Amino acid sequence: MPAIFFEGEELDCRPGESVLDALNRHGKEIPSGCRAGVCQACVLLTDEQQVAARHQQGLSAAQRDLNYFLSCQCQPTSAIHVRRPDSGANRVRGKLVNREWLSDQVVRLQLDADMDYRPGQYITLWKDSSTARSYSLASHQTQDKWLELHVKHIPGGAISPWLCNDLKCGDELTLQGPMGSCVYSHTQDRPLLLAAIGTGLAPVLGVLKDALVNGHHGPIYLLVGAARHSGFYYQGALLRLVEEFPQVELQFLVQTWEGKACPGLIEADIYQYCRERFSDLSGYGVYLCGAPTFVQKMRKQAFMAGAAMSDIATDAFLAFGETS
Amino acid sequence: MSLFDELGGADAIDTAVDIFYRKVLADDRISHFFDTVDMEGQHTKQKAFLTMAFGGPNNYTGKDLREAHRHMNLTEEHFNAVAEDLLATLEELNVPQVKIDEVMSIVGGTKSDILNL
Repeated sequence: MPAIFFEGEELDCRPGESVLDALNRHGKEIPSGCRAGVCQACVLLTDEQQVAARHQQGLSAAQRDLNYFLSCQCQPTSAIHVRRPDSGANRVRGKLVNREWLSDQVVRLQLDADMDYRPGQYITLWKDSSTARSYSLASHQTQDKWLELHVKHIPGGAISPWLCNDLKCGDELTLQGPMGSCVYSHTQDRPLLLAAIGTGLAPVLGVLKDALVNGHHGPIYLLVGAARHSGFYYQGALLRLVEEFPQVELQFLVQTWEGKACPGLIEADIYQYCRERFSDLSGYGVYLCGAPTFVQKMRKQAFMAGAAMSDIATDAFLAFGETS
Repeated sequence: MSLFDELGGADAIDTAVDIFYRKVLADDRISHFFDTVDMEGQHTKQKAFLTMAFGGPNNYTGKDLREAHRHMNLTEEHFNAVAEDLLATLEELNVPQVKIDEVMSIVGGTKSDILNL
């Protein structure tokens, strides 16, 4: 009988039984719907290198790259390691190697950790056994030596003051991940719309780096929005990064103009700007990262403007306590 | 051959779901049922629904449909609005009339379960 290793726990699987049915039989609650490979409610992740195409039918290119599969369709014939996409991810120890304030609100952390990831995914940092927060990866796994996270300093917060002030370079901490599927998918010629507010810039920067490393030659529209000038960070670095790539158009949008000019900065409402500038998004890859209200509103707008649901990737920063 | 297979199976059905979902979101009679923060979850449900209506693989039962719609206070007008949006979707996809009739007949068969009659 083939064994299923579910987040490390060994469970038996009967001949002809699907991974989903076996896990349910063992009392593991895996969401499921159609059990016919269509609804995608039962997706799990596997560490196996080869995943059969029919176990991945209908999944997005990014999900296929990340080894997602439909657990209702997979009847294992040999041992298989599986886990839920956003939980049970590996925990590793890492070390803070560099910390830099990018603005009076945002800190860049660089961590040394042995973790295989895709830019735009996120990891969870553990302060102690019960306190953790998730941050998205702005670094590129082959271009950057360290893992890069952008942390917004929230006075009185459970984790950010520790990360921004207390943790010393050289200190160790526990990282869990990577998780999430907001990653570049290898379609080099389609136009991309990358839109971020706040530290949503971190995953967007990760996706941008990966697109450029992979020779993306379709136009890339990078929009960074903020309510006020103080909400921006990394402007100079971004301008330098895109300088040598003519296919990238970088636009900073501020809602309330405070008279501080910067290259590429205009006064505009990001929703209104997108409605007018990107009235037809069919065929675009769309990446939306930042606060949940921004992501939800932009996702609906992008979808109604013609972007396919499977071509919209999002990374919404959840307030603590929300789980989905 | 079912319309599901004719359209190209699970991969191709995403396009039909996108067109259909845009129509219901733009339909004032029913958009409030579909306008949720969990757009992906809603999209998934509609994919299962269209797969069933297109004669594709599914394990949905009348009991599931009944249970899922029980507390929504749906009326005939809501049901008809969804059916009209689906019809418009099929027409936009240039589905032949004979197949449209098949799909609408499957959908018509779910009416008593969805409205909990």
